[in-house]
Amino acid sequence: MSDRQLADWRQHALKLEAEINKVVIGQQDPVRLITTAIFARGHVLLEGDVGVGKTTLLRAFTRGIGGGYQRIEGTIDLMPNDLVYHTYLGEDGKPHVSPGPLLMSGENLSVFFFNEINRARPQVHSLLLRVMAERTLTAFNKEHHFPHMLVFADRNQVEKEETFDIPSAARDRFMMEIPIVVPSEPNIREELMFNPKFHDVDALVGTVEADILQFDQLNAFARIIQNSIDASPTLRSYALDLWTATKSPELFGVKVSGVEMSRLIISGASPRGVGMLLSAARVNAWLNNREAVVPEDIHAVFHETIAHRLVFSPVYEMRRTEIARELLSGIISSVSAP
Amino acid sequence: MKKLTLSSAALVLSLLLSFASFNLQADEKPVPPIDEKLVKLSIVDPVRDSGYTVGDLITRVVTLEIKKPYKLLDTSLPIVGYEKRYQGQVIGIELRDIKKSAEDNSDSKVHTLHLTYQIFDRNVVAKPAALPPEFIRIQGGNEVYSFRIPSWNFRISPIAVFGEVKLESDMSPLRGPMLKTSERENLIFKLALAVLALSALGLLYILGMRAWLPRMGGPFARACRDLKKLSKLPANDETLKLALTRVHQAFNLSSGSSVFSNNVDDLLAQKPVFAGMRDDIAHFFELSRMAFFEQHQAAQTAAEQLAWLQKFSRRCRDCERGLRPEKQA
Repeated sequence: MSDRQLADWRQHALKLEAEINKVVIGQQDPVRLITTAIFARGHVLLEGDVGVGKTTLLRAFTRGIGGGYQRIEGTIDLMPNDLVYHTYLGEDGKPHVSPGPLLMSGENLSVFFFNEINRARPQVHSLLLRVMAERTLTAFNKEHHFPHMLVFADRNQVEKEETFDIPSAARDRFMMEIPIVVPSEPNIREELMFNPKFHDVDALVGTVEADILQFDQLNAFARIIQNSIDASPTLRSYALDLWTATKSPELFGVKVSGVEMSRLIISGASPRGVGMLLSAARVNAWLNNREAVVPEDIHAVFHETIAHRLVFSPVYEMRRTEIARELLSGIISSVSAP
Repeated sequence: MKKLTLSSAALVLSLLLSFASFNLQADEKPVPPIDEKLVKLSIVDPVRDSGYTVGDLITRVVTLEIKKPYKLLDTSLPIVGYEKRYQGQVIGIELRDIKKSAEDNSDSKVHTLHLTYQIFDRNVVAKPAALPPEFIRIQGGNEVYSFRIPSWNFRISPIAVFGEVKLESDMSPLRGPMLKTSERENLIFKLALAVLALSALGLLYILGMRAWLPRMGGPFARACRDLKKLSKLPANDETLKLALTRVHQAFNLSSGSSVFSNNVDDLLAQKPVFAGMRDDIAHFFELSRMAFFEQHQAAQTAAEQLAWLQKFSRRCRDCERGLRPEKQA
């Protein structure tokens, strides 16, 4: 039964990818990673410059997944209650309370998109921490559940004014941080520039086939994937070595140019982080029609699941992106399996 | 009468001799020294001025540049074998050899004298000695002048520290004469040469990546040897995993980083000698994946896979050595 399910759902997943790749061109790797996160039930943080297609990408995915979609913009004056409810004076002249974006879709909330998350205050990050970790919220003397919710957030690392750095505890809640970069291929750039199809986002997203996946069945199917895809003892040993290397890269002879390795890492990947790494690797194995995880599955998601979890010494934080990329590539190159 | 004649003759003879003696004394009048501007003297004395003992030879090189028309009188040069004296006493230094050469210049003549003296003196403690001054004569027109080659001071030293050697206690008739021999030194020299040669070989071995011949000790050559040893073990999954691990190590060492199936292209770009092995390398990673990660039962038995791995590692070794590998493994 599960074998047929696995095959059927793989077809759906590949179809979803194909649909997204039609509307967001030149982003095959991020599309594969977001698909992986959806089936691994992990929240996603997108990182990229302004106008590279982050919102379009997420809206297209939301249409393909189905379910409720809510969105909020991160601003410096956004408060936690703005996510839960808003008040207004009704036509009858009396004050009214309406559910905020988190509560509006009820249990059917499928995607909660937090735009420019780093513009929100730490109080908002704090609320989001609970919602992401527990998928519950207490409001109006009642506990609300969002069992199917995935949080997609994006941040623009170029602008630093009026922004709040996302604390490492909040970053750790995200399964992946996926960089979105402008495609370099000239034909794709030309298409993005001259084809009017890509200029009307609403119409573009509307071309994605709706409800390719059943959002309310994703949790159950994600469990089937995790239970069906094997991880052999050799793979486990390799993954453990990778985890150790994120904490003490010098043990594996990893070097980063211009960095004193013994002083670089304050905290390596967390147990939750490596758990998410293996979940994502299992999904990647399934998407590639394999029954067991191989090292290449881990490599496919390693940077995106680990880089944002590492805590560097403050002196190296300014070069975080560059150092993390070189460090994780060095770890992949230095740790062998078998 | 006859007696008178004899005594008269004796008287005449004595008178004649007295006259001759007077003439001789008149000839030995002091010879004036030559003007120093006319002769340029340079002497090369021995570097060491102590540690000489009986039998040692000391050579001085004296160079005299004499302005023309003055010339050196060869008859005034010191005589070989003459025992040198000081205040009438023999000083135990004798001129053993003299070599003379001359070079003619336009306005002067340069004479080079190699004077070799031998020492016939010794002492129980060091004592001062000197090569005596030599007086030569130079003729200029009808006049003869003298020129003094200065003495050279040195020390005569004992052969052994005084009191350290007692010959009386070391005069056994059963022992032969002590000969000066260099056998021991020769032996030490040969041993040192042997050690040096071995060290150089060892260094060469270490610098050559622990291989006696170029590329002999490459990662795949070593893996190939190890796989041969593994072939003696029972052909089962464990042995197969050991063999696969060993070949993985060879790939990692050869590339300098971990090689996986998704970065084989990087390896081939880095080591184009393996380009012809692309399909075999892909097969190797497939085999490894089945053994380590997917744990599927392969179509081949462990023995067949081990045999394939041996051939594969041999072909990789050939590529590593820049040779054309055998046909498909």
